[in-house]
Amino acid sequence: MKYINAFVVSLAVAAGPTLAQDRPDLLSALGPPPIPADNPMTPEKIELGKKLFFDPALSGNYGMPCSACHLPEAGWAVQAPISFGYPGTTHWRNSQTVINSAYYQKLFWAGASGSLEHQARSAARGGVAGNGEDDMMEARLAFIPEYRAAFRDVFGDDWPSVRHAYMALAAFQRTLVQPDTPFDEYMRGDDDALSEQQRRGLDLFTGKANCVACHNGPLLSDQAFYNTGVPPYDGWETDSLAQITFRFEIFAKGATEAKYRSIKDDPGLYFRTKQDADKGKFRTPSLRYTAYTFPYMHNGMLETLRDVVEFYNAGGGENEFAENKSDIIQPLGLTDTEVDDLVAFLESLSGEEIIVEEPEPLFMEPLPEAGN
Amino acid sequence: MRHLSAVAVLICATAAGPALAQSIEPMDVNPELAELGKRMFYDVRLSGDTSLSCASCHDPAMAFADGEALSRAYTGSAHFRNSPTLANVGYRDAWMHDGRLGTNLNDVAREMITETYLMNMDMRIMQERMKQDPTYIEMFQAAGMSEPSNGGARNARQAFMQTIVSRGAPIDTGELSPAALRGQGIFEGKANCVSCHAGVRYTDDQPHNTGVPDNPEIWADPERHVAFVTYAKFMGIPNYMNLREDPGAFIRTHRPETRRSFLTPTLRELTYTAPYMHNGIFETLEEVVDFYDAGGGDAPLKDARLQPLGLVTSERAGRIAVLEALSGESFEIEAYVWPDDDPFDYELIEDWRNVAN
Repeated sequence: MKYINAFVVSLAVAAGPTLAQDRPDLLSALGPPPIPADNPMTPEKIELGKKLFFDPALSGNYGMPCSACHLPEAGWAVQAPISFGYPGTTHWRNSQTVINSAYYQKLFWAGASGSLEHQARSAARGGVAGNGEDDMMEARLAFIPEYRAAFRDVFGDDWPSVRHAYMALAAFQRTLVQPDTPFDEYMRGDDDALSEQQRRGLDLFTGKANCVACHNGPLLSDQAFYNTGVPPYDGWETDSLAQITFRFEIFAKGATEAKYRSIKDDPGLYFRTKQDADKGKFRTPSLRYTAYTFPYMHNGMLETLRDVVEFYNAGGGENEFAENKSDIIQPLGLTDTEVDDLVAFLESLSGEEIIVEEPEPLFMEPLPEAGN
Repeated sequence: MRHLSAVAVLICATAAGPALAQSIEPMDVNPELAELGKRMFYDVRLSGDTSLSCASCHDPAMAFADGEALSRAYTGSAHFRNSPTLANVGYRDAWMHDGRLGTNLNDVAREMITETYLMNMDMRIMQERMKQDPTYIEMFQAAGMSEPSNGGARNARQAFMQTIVSRGAPIDTGELSPAALRGQGIFEGKANCVSCHAGVRYTDDQPHNTGVPDNPEIWADPERHVAFVTYAKFMGIPNYMNLREDPGAFIRTHRPETRRSFLTPTLRELTYTAPYMHNGIFETLEEVVDFYDAGGGDAPLKDARLQPLGLVTSERAGRIAVLEALSGESFEIEAYVWPDDDPFDYELIEDWRNVAN
């Protein structure tokens, strides 16, 4: 029996391309990430971006590198509902993984940034994130000899430009991709890359559970915005720092005074469009690398992948923007076994944990003498 | 003739003449607003990472200076200037050693709070921090405001700073020693200090180049130099990366003749505020007096009025005595110090879902 199986497998591999045509239309393996024409990749630029990713120079207090809230050993995210905030604050949304962020056309939960370059700048400067200021961060880079050399080499800078720092960071992040998960191997024709249970889960994903309505394409995200009824972050009722940040965000991101006074949940996409119909909507996240990025949703209110599946099995939840909840979200009627199968499939969307060796820290040194 | 002049000066001095010996009137300030500003002055939550308050660099025990040559600054940076006294700060016509703020103390408060190398505070977060503290909510209401706000906070800090007025200096009470009286004559006469250090605050609030040497520490310490570069870049100074001198008022005029000129500092409360000059380069009043006795420093754009004075030893002593007589009572008193048992705590808003933000 085992022998026969092995024989079938070798046949399957030989006939892979044909069988792969049985794969669901709305999903596919992950290809290489798009590289913007104005920020081509070079090994030197990537290496520079990697150093910057771990360097606290790019923050207000010289203490909050990108890696403070995108920890490689925590899924390149924070394994807590809400991201860490700048000292003296707390954040108000879940930290998203950097892995595969290269494929998003819009960054941040409400799609506030159009590129990784722009996202890096926003995160470095945000009041509850890096709280840095470009002039200061740029000045610091000039005092680090290794950066003077690297920015000259990569960008031709006389002195490091902070805009170029954001470009290097984006280039580094475009290397943090995972196109070889079991799911990808399966989609490329390896039938055995998924277990029986995972294949049943895939059938549910594209069928009865209809996850694929939003989680489609190679990223398993349509990059569109929905209100699925995720409940509000519970810390707003128990944590005074969280209450401060909540009001700050409503104030800073822009709302009418009436809304500033009354809103008690994150209005998400509303901040970008200022349309009431967009309140409570967030961009469909990719389901890749989720084995490492618990807890889930824009505010971390669901702890495990099973919680997420059960949340949707129950027809989503309810928040104060209920009038905007997507009609796609309906009770699914999945059995416990089907929930198990779906969770098993979701696990196939994560490969090995991606860990890089942190670069040696760099330090500011006095500048060489110069004439006035 | 010279003898007559000296007599005239003495008469002026003892009879509260125009140049010297006229005490400073308290400013008209809303006391509730000033009290609110006073609490904020001592609250580290007005800085981005809650590490600094205004009082960190403006200590009432040192007439609201900090005793350092070069002030500290926000976490990860250090300052390139000396922290000035806040005595009589509400009467100034311009602020900062380069005079780049020429409007009012409200703007000064904003600059201090938001500048990246000072308190690096996003004032929208500051507002929401204050709204999370019932003591502030009460104090804003007592000062006639509905709730904590950025604008109200800046007004309150302005009001507190306006209360900081010199009191009881010998020059005001008329209790001058014979040496100080001699010094007073030299101050107005032979040394002509009064040509810039005029009026009751002993300053014309104008920039002058007296040739004060640069403090090399600014360019030896990367954290200071970074703050300096940030400042020079923001102010649009060309070639800021290679600049190794403090351009002074040039930063706001961009006129070459103003290069390395700095606002005349007040001479009030000097005994509390060593070290001296915009960069703390002189540790004692003796050094300052010697500097001007020698005709100031060596600088191409130096003010032509600065010439060697040829003071004899007794004249130098007199000058220091009169300078010391310009310092009054300490500000380390209840009126200016916030109780250190204030926890500056936030309080959770109970029933958060049902109350207005």
